[in-house]
Amino acid sequence: MSRLLRWVIGITIAVTLIGGAILLLPFSTWLPGGTVAEISTREVVNGTEFNALFPSAAAGESVVFTQEKRGFSEAKLKHDGQVTALLAISDTVTAPEARTKFAAVQTRLKGWPLVDQGAQASALLVADRFQVKVIGQGSGLEPERRHELLGAFDLQALAALQPAAASRGRLAKAAEPRRLPPASGEQLPQLELKSAAPQPAS
Amino acid sequence: MSRTVLERLERLPRRDLTVLSLKGISTLVPGGWSNLTSADRLIREVIGSDDPELVRQVRARADQLSLARHEGYERALSLYDAVNRSQHATGGLRVLANVTAGVPLLKRIASVTPPGDTLQAVDLSLKVGAELLAFTQVNGLPGDSFADFGAALADYAGEARVRMAALVCFDGLLPLGDQALSRLDGLLGAAGSGDLRKLPAYGRMAALIPGRSDSEHMNFLRRGVDQWLGWAGGFVSQLGLTGQRAVQALESTLGPWQGRMDQLAAFLDAFTDTYAHTGVQAVARRLVERAAAEI
Repeated sequence: MSRLLRWVIGITIAVTLIGGAILLLPFSTWLPGGTVAEISTREVVNGTEFNALFPSAAAGESVVFTQEKRGFSEAKLKHDGQVTALLAISDTVTAPEARTKFAAVQTRLKGWPLVDQGAQASALLVADRFQVKVIGQGSGLEPERRHELLGAFDLQALAALQPAAASRGRLAKAAEPRRLPPASGEQLPQLELKSAAPQPAS
Repeated sequence: MSRTVLERLERLPRRDLTVLSLKGISTLVPGGWSNLTSADRLIREVIGSDDPELVRQVRARADQLSLARHEGYERALSLYDAVNRSQHATGGLRVLANVTAGVPLLKRIASVTPPGDTLQAVDLSLKVGAELLAFTQVNGLPGDSFADFGAALADYAGEARVRMAALVCFDGLLPLGDQALSRLDGLLGAAGSGDLRKLPAYGRMAALIPGRSDSEHMNFLRRGVDQWLGWAGGFVSQLGLTGQRAVQALESTLGPWQGRMDQLAAFLDAFTDTYAHTGVQAVARRLVERAAAEI
């Protein structure tokens, strides 16, 4: 009997220790997964695809890429070594709330809705999905210059991008989060405008 | 553990030994350094606006991003923490060895502590390796070509000039002397993978370093250091950094120091967190730049 008891106690201790280790030790930070907004990375366009669409540098300026992640790519625009602006393209699949600010705007640039955020940031929503943004740094940029930079991105090619999952015939699944943007009242005219906007010639 | 990057930024000390020694080193670097510990100030600086609603949105997005394990921001911080713990451990041992070397009965402690330039060189290479790994965790592999990647690295290092100056001075020039950078390669060549094993941080980093064995890891670190040396050599000669100047700069904030340079280095290793401190600030800035572009 004492032998059985010993086994039971032994197994209980082992199970408690293993369970405790799994629950309490900080393994979680090293596990795979844990994506932004719990959206599978396959539904997000990789930042590599955005790199080629950035504007090329004018004389005396340089574009230095600084970050590239799933659904995001960012570069710094430098003039004589000083950072004058942050240029970024992001996939709003993981941040649907970012699309709300475009719902009611009338201003357009090359057919896509344009928003000024605060004193230094301008953003463009392309194909109801990709946000292109220019944020003035340091002494700042005039709004006209920011809009000019936004227009210098290759917007047509950007509108044509699709996530990897969609190109493999998962269009319906990938498009689902796209159909969900808030501000439902504004959505219909927006969609009409979208189809009237310049589409890639492919 | 699940503290976000911005929360960690706000918990950084405002004024302690770490901050004072960084202030001292920053007098050697043009542009200087301010101890940024306010997330809201950082956000306002990046977006160039005081609108509280925008600041709130950027902050919410930054917290969301830093909690997503896939994005690597937390992982970069845990790399810095591992290196920092290792630095405390080896620094503490060296301080102990210095203190006990003068006491006859305790002299033996000094002889069992891992002394020496080789270990210091391996420690520095581990830090440079951690820096490279953390860079890819935070920034991905920016650009389409290797030249783009190199430009991104140089840009990052330029942004974190005080951080790099602290790394060069505290882990290179002070403990290894003014010829530290040219000696480093030879010292690493002499180091075996056993020396790598002696460093506590290595255990935690090993899984993240490419390669399957200690010797492959050592190879990776040596290649990483080679890359870094090219940049650091230019940096040192451009700013005219020497051990003597570093001591003078530190004395301006910490007070007079009368011991040897390597003792000062051991003391700083044991009692300051300069590496993790500036690391959190650098990661927080990159995170906010991304969050600002995504809201």
